[in-house]
Amino acid sequence: MTRETLDVDILIVGGGPAGLSAALRLAQLQAAGDPPLSIAVLEKAREGGAHQLSGAILDPSTLRDLIPDFQAKGAPLAAQVTDDHVYLLTERSKLPFPIIPAPLRNHGNYIISLNRFTQWLTQQVEAEGIDIFSGFAGQDVLMDGARVIGVRTGDRGIDRHGQPKPTFEAGVDVQAKVTIFCDGVRGNLTKELLRRLELGRGRQPEQFAVGLKELWEVPADRLAAGTVIHTLGYPLRHEEFGGAFIYAMPGGQLSVGFVVGLDYRDPLFDPHMAFNRFKQHPFVAGLLAGGQMVRYGAKALPEGGWNTIPQTYMDGGLIAGDAGGFLNSMRLKGIHLAMRTGMLAAETAFEAVRRGDTSQAALSGYQRRIDASAVREELYPVRSVHQAFSKGLIPGLLLSGAALVTRGAVLDDLPGHAGHDQMRTLAWYYGIDKAAAGASNATTIDRRLTFDKVTNVHFSGTAHDEDQPPHLLVETDVCSTICGPEYGHPCVRFCPANVYEIQHDAAGTPHLQINASNCVHCKTCDIMDPYQAITWVPPEGGGGPQYNGM
Amino acid sequence: MILVIAEQRAGRLNRATWETLAAAQALSGASMPITVAIPGAGLTAVAQELAAAGIGNVLVAEHPALAQYTPDGWTQALQAIVTEAAPAFVLLPHTYQARDFAPMLAARLRKPLITDVVGISGTGIDARFTRPMFQGKLVAEVRPQGDGPYFITIQVGAYRADAVARGSAAAVTQVDVHIDEAAIRQKPDAPFQEAKQAVDLGQAERIVAVGRGIKSQENLPLAEALARAMGAELAASRPICDSGWLPMARQIGSSGQTVAPKLYVALGISGAIQHLVGMKGSRTIVAINKDADAPIFEVADYGIVGDLFELAPAIAAELEKS
Repeated sequence: MTRETLDVDILIVGGGPAGLSAALRLAQLQAAGDPPLSIAVLEKAREGGAHQLSGAILDPSTLRDLIPDFQAKGAPLAAQVTDDHVYLLTERSKLPFPIIPAPLRNHGNYIISLNRFTQWLTQQVEAEGIDIFSGFAGQDVLMDGARVIGVRTGDRGIDRHGQPKPTFEAGVDVQAKVTIFCDGVRGNLTKELLRRLELGRGRQPEQFAVGLKELWEVPADRLAAGTVIHTLGYPLRHEEFGGAFIYAMPGGQLSVGFVVGLDYRDPLFDPHMAFNRFKQHPFVAGLLAGGQMVRYGAKALPEGGWNTIPQTYMDGGLIAGDAGGFLNSMRLKGIHLAMRTGMLAAETAFEAVRRGDTSQAALSGYQRRIDASAVREELYPVRSVHQAFSKGLIPGLLLSGAALVTRGAVLDDLPGHAGHDQMRTLAWYYGIDKAAAGASNATTIDRRLTFDKVTNVHFSGTAHDEDQPPHLLVETDVCSTICGPEYGHPCVRFCPANVYEIQHDAAGTPHLQINASNCVHCKTCDIMDPYQAITWVPPEGGGGPQYNGM
Repeated sequence: MILVIAEQRAGRLNRATWETLAAAQALSGASMPITVAIPGAGLTAVAQELAAAGIGNVLVAEHPALAQYTPDGWTQALQAIVTEAAPAFVLLPHTYQARDFAPMLAARLRKPLITDVVGISGTGIDARFTRPMFQGKLVAEVRPQGDGPYFITIQVGAYRADAVARGSAAAVTQVDVHIDEAAIRQKPDAPFQEAKQAVDLGQAERIVAVGRGIKSQENLPLAEALARAMGAELAASRPICDSGWLPMARQIGSSGQTVAPKLYVALGISGAIQHLVGMKGSRTIVAINKDADAPIFEVADYGIVGDLFELAPAIAAELEKS
């Protein structure tokens, strides 16, 4: 087969905050003169921003540096934060925190729709004349020995049996002097790089959480725009890490979300059910009463912090944003860090290409830039916070408070474990031969306040061409043999989009049915499967959720 | 004037053409005359059928090069007709064929195109058109801007074919069609049906649809028997087609077909929202499901909480008797 090739100086994979900030920074650096560099951005969504999901509260520090006149340029900032509230929920009531912990103080920050913000960033980048190839996913890393030489985009027009359809188009080999990987949390290309180049050597295992979010429209006077609410506690138990957020935007729009650490132990725990239970809490149900859920989405987030960030530079390649784990789980913020690392990666790549040396040694300047920047200043002191919470909610709160007061001196490098290793077997957790019936935290579904996953998926706008090979590669042997007795098929519960279903054949043998076209690209299965038997690869470009306004 | 482009194959009108005529009458509100244009070859009978309905004058664009559908041929013929007739609106059924050539036709003339229209509010030049967005989650109301004619495609099932107000027989005019055959880039082979049972569910008046409640492929004959007794097409919700028990062409819902038959019988379908968006426009919906809380009952006109394995054969037997 012949493949087209496209040669550029710098390739950016992923059109999120990190990738777009990198592109914009490159455009700024070029303005100084000299022959222009050729730059390309790949984005798997059909249009910029469609796969972007976050809370979100934006710390505008990086934005101010990247686009000083962001207000004049019409950055879509929904509301400035006016009020912060933090509550510890019990089953029936809520206890306000006496003081708002500093990391959760949001004065000067903005509530945004990351979808809208990314659409706007996309426009800023396009206005600089940079090509954004949306609808094209990076499928494989192209390597020459240990050197990254580019990315191959996915083939299009393959049917579900792997045969080419009349519309078949082979993927393109985009070759670059430097490739900046901004493929997001658990990005498929970054995962491949970590494996092939052992970039995680000497680091702690990566840690993740999954966030579920709904957009609600409630009566406009329910909560003043700019109100920020965070909660801990119910419906999670002490052993589960996580919490919830409610952000009020103008016009009665509420961003309601729930985050659960992907290191829970109970194999029958269902994060989506926990979200439903959260909405049933009297406090939350009261806020949502009379309102309507208009959008749904889910996305994993990297929570491990500084000690889990892999080596982010290699021959011909750099990693930025969520792909590298640049997120402050204590402040629940990563957008500004994604943007900052994108900018630093761009500066490093620019200098290397201009000098004609894009080796690992030349690109290691990226690490020096990060160490000298606000990224390290922010992440290093809280480097063990997530690890502390693995000991439970109360020890986590105490240890992270101590870390703050001492700027990281007391809470030294706590060890971390991969989250999927934390899941216990049914026998271990329940101590008996428990037959896996449903979720241990199941609750009632009324399709008004609480929803089943299938209905929620509809509200994610997710669509894929149905006639394509499944993009979830599963070693299904375990599904029919050991997974049932050992873990009770946890994929059915941890997937927030009903991708996985177990069907029993006439002999009673369980078989995995994969509803791949429900997939909202959250990556939870790739992360949390206890056997690590699931690999997420990009579906045909353009498929996926449509997170308008999320 | 409103120009409606009729669709025919081998001298038979597509049912969606009548629906589009109903939409044209709604748009006109008797304020604008309606003209029907029909491209093809061997059109005498179809033209007479349309003229007899008395909706408006019929323009017949007959040419040997139009014996078989090609997007270039249709675009050439219709570009001339639209330019000559200078209508305010051009209405087309939102069929596969119209979706193939209408964008090219509108682009050639540099005129607005509004696709997938499911409703029209107001009449005449100030009318607003509603069309679904985001898989039917949102409905947008749009109005074309700039100079007409405005091209509008009407979603199948949005208007009722039997709602067309008929009048006294209208005139049939043969249009002089000049086709530059060298400019037709497509060379169609003879039409063929992909499979013996190829089906266009959008045309079916009655549909029996099966869902997961049917349990196994071996039970499908039970639904087939009911469909036969009713003179209905067999369709399915997604899990059935995913399992390969029925071809994907028979799948109803957001990732399959959208249908609006006169009668829709849902057997063992719970009614996930993804299925409902594909069939909620049906005139009469009958649901049979064991679970009284199944959401399908929220859209059903008639609901039976019961076992489809008892009910379907019993209903089929009663129908066979009569």
